[in-house]
Amino acid sequence: MPDTPAVRAEALAKTYGGKRPVTALHPLTMTVAAGETFGLLGPNGAGKTTFVKLLLGLVKPTGGAAEILGVDVSRPEARVPTGFLPEGHRFPPFLTGREALDVLARIHGVSPADRAARAPDLLDRVRLSDAADRRVGTYSKGMLQRLGIAQALMNRPRVVFLDEPTDGVDPVGRREIRDLIESLRGEGVTVFLNSHLLSEVERVCTRVAILDRGRVVRDGSVEALTRQGRAWRLRSTPVPSDLAARLGLDPDPAEPPAEAADAVLVRSVLTVPDRASLNAALDALRAAGVEVDAVEPLRQSLEDLFVDVVTHPDAAPSFSAPAEAPAR
Amino acid sequence: MTGLLLLTLRELRARKVIVGLFVVATAVWLTLSLALQLDVVDGSLAGARLFGETIRDEAATDSLDAEASLKAAIKAAGDSAASVPDSLAVDSRVATADSGVSAGTAAVGASGDDGPEPMPGSLDSLNPLQALVFGAQAFASGAAYWVGILLCLFATGGLVAGLVEPGQADLLLSKPLSRSAVLAGRLAGVGVVTLALLTYLLGAVWIVMAVKTGFWNPRFLLAIPAVWAMFAVLYGVVTLASVWSGSGPLALVVTLGLVFTTLVLAIPGLPLAVNATVRPVVSGLGAVLPRFATVGANLVPHLAAGAGLATLTGETDDEAEPDEAETDEADGAQPGPPSLVADTVPLLTSLLFGAVCYAAAFALFHRRDA
Repeated sequence: MPDTPAVRAEALAKTYGGKRPVTALHPLTMTVAAGETFGLLGPNGAGKTTFVKLLLGLVKPTGGAAEILGVDVSRPEARVPTGFLPEGHRFPPFLTGREALDVLARIHGVSPADRAARAPDLLDRVRLSDAADRRVGTYSKGMLQRLGIAQALMNRPRVVFLDEPTDGVDPVGRREIRDLIESLRGEGVTVFLNSHLLSEVERVCTRVAILDRGRVVRDGSVEALTRQGRAWRLRSTPVPSDLAARLGLDPDPAEPPAEAADAVLVRSVLTVPDRASLNAALDALRAAGVEVDAVEPLRQSLEDLFVDVVTHPDAAPSFSAPAEAPAR
Repeated sequence: MTGLLLLTLRELRARKVIVGLFVVATAVWLTLSLALQLDVVDGSLAGARLFGETIRDEAATDSLDAEASLKAAIKAAGDSAASVPDSLAVDSRVATADSGVSAGTAAVGASGDDGPEPMPGSLDSLNPLQALVFGAQAFASGAAYWVGILLCLFATGGLVAGLVEPGQADLLLSKPLSRSAVLAGRLAGVGVVTLALLTYLLGAVWIVMAVKTGFWNPRFLLAIPAVWAMFAVLYGVVTLASVWSGSGPLALVVTLGLVFTTLVLAIPGLPLAVNATVRPVVSGLGAVLPRFATVGANLVPHLAAGAGLATLTGETDDEAEPDEAETDEADGAQPGPPSLVADTVPLLTSLLFGAVCYAAAFALFHRRDA
């Protein structure tokens, strides 16, 4: 069933009981398409890990339902095509890296032949071949994290949940994990990524959702979320002030005014309601002798968006210009 | 589930205490085999030496000595504190298996020649050699019960709690297994190891005694499932407390507290000695909680020593017909345990308690958030 979503949640909710019940997740409806690289963002306590644990049957929902590849998550079979790297995982310290992969894959139901073939390959991919026969108890945090990723991939999953995969990993390791995620996307694997490292999410995810206090406050492609409405960044020769005022051109806050005064090319921000208005404005600029060097949609970084959303959860998407355009 | 069982076995192997228990068990049967020297002539015990020292070299008082030694051993099995040399202080040169110990039978429970008539199933069916075997085996099974169970609880107590610890639970419970299978796999691992340990210890003692004396007492092997069953009952409490609290140490404390409570409740006449208002509580707890002390003091040595125990502790089997006992003896078969059915009831009620604990633990584990 090619159209079956990798993940589908329908009013999925969780309230932890106790003397003072805590609602970790308000009823949440969401779909993640097969093959998507999905990033779930949110501040601490937003409900990200709870959501993933609900999907994997680790936490029992207090409302709603969810499916993984069409199978209800309350059934163990739903977890057959999944791999999971939990946050703060703890491998049995008495096992070697190779043994840990083998035992956990065996518990998952991976055949002996598959385990034997898969383990060396994955250990190599996460750069643990040399340490494969060392006890896990001697591993550094970064090595444990890489081993965790390897164990999540042992069963050749179709949906992988990675909870803070780069936690404790050095920059080189982070880059390798990013490459690994991108290679998974190339293999058609759905990746569900929980991370605080927004730049990583921005680079690898095709879609993100931002969760705040148990509610989804933004959901969409990275490009759509970071695009600031119908604002455009314009690079051109200096624009006469009367024309700039007529067109509603604002100086680009990213460019220092002093430099702008002496520059051959200046940057400004043009806000127009639609594409036709954009082209009309460009025609007016050209007619006034202004040479346009570049026009690009104005975006803010995912980090700026995240901070805006979390600090002003009820506000409409911000259109303030970013300090720096995202490197995409 | 096999994977989880193997993981549990690996974890237990990694815990040095389990290896230590196997070493201790080895030391026990090796010591027994090397230190105890028996002279058996024509199926009769002609002499016994412990650590190379002849304990006694007199005739005629053999049965009384045998009786005393067996009683001491059984008491030691119940108290778990008696020393091996005392319990094995047997030396005689009379009484063959065929003739029994007629001189001694008249002295059961008496101190002189005017003692009561021998009762059916009494020492008529027990010679000093058997008494020695029964005594040693009752001691071994009692020690395995009182000490072995507690050591096994300490060695395996934290394993179930590990299933609900955040780091490990996430890794294990995210696999395509039902919660029940995960918990069952872990319990199976614990069960396999403890059963192996008990079988190794008691089986080795059984073989050593049999080889040394030429007297095979297969009933002794019944102590293995009995001890293991009681361990399983207590491990049910560990499991429930672990799943409920997520803490291995707390689960052990709860279980040991329960054991202590059952020891107190086993004090004879306790319900009558307490205040009338708390009497129903004491009686209720006595009826509901596992009968750890009772099973250890009665059933386990009973199973291990068979008729010898009942004979020397003065128990009789009201249901046993004299003719039947004589027939058994004539056939050379071991007489049946005099009050086995009555002694089995505490074990059965304890098993029921354990089953309830396991059912509650499985239900709680199924609903628990990781």
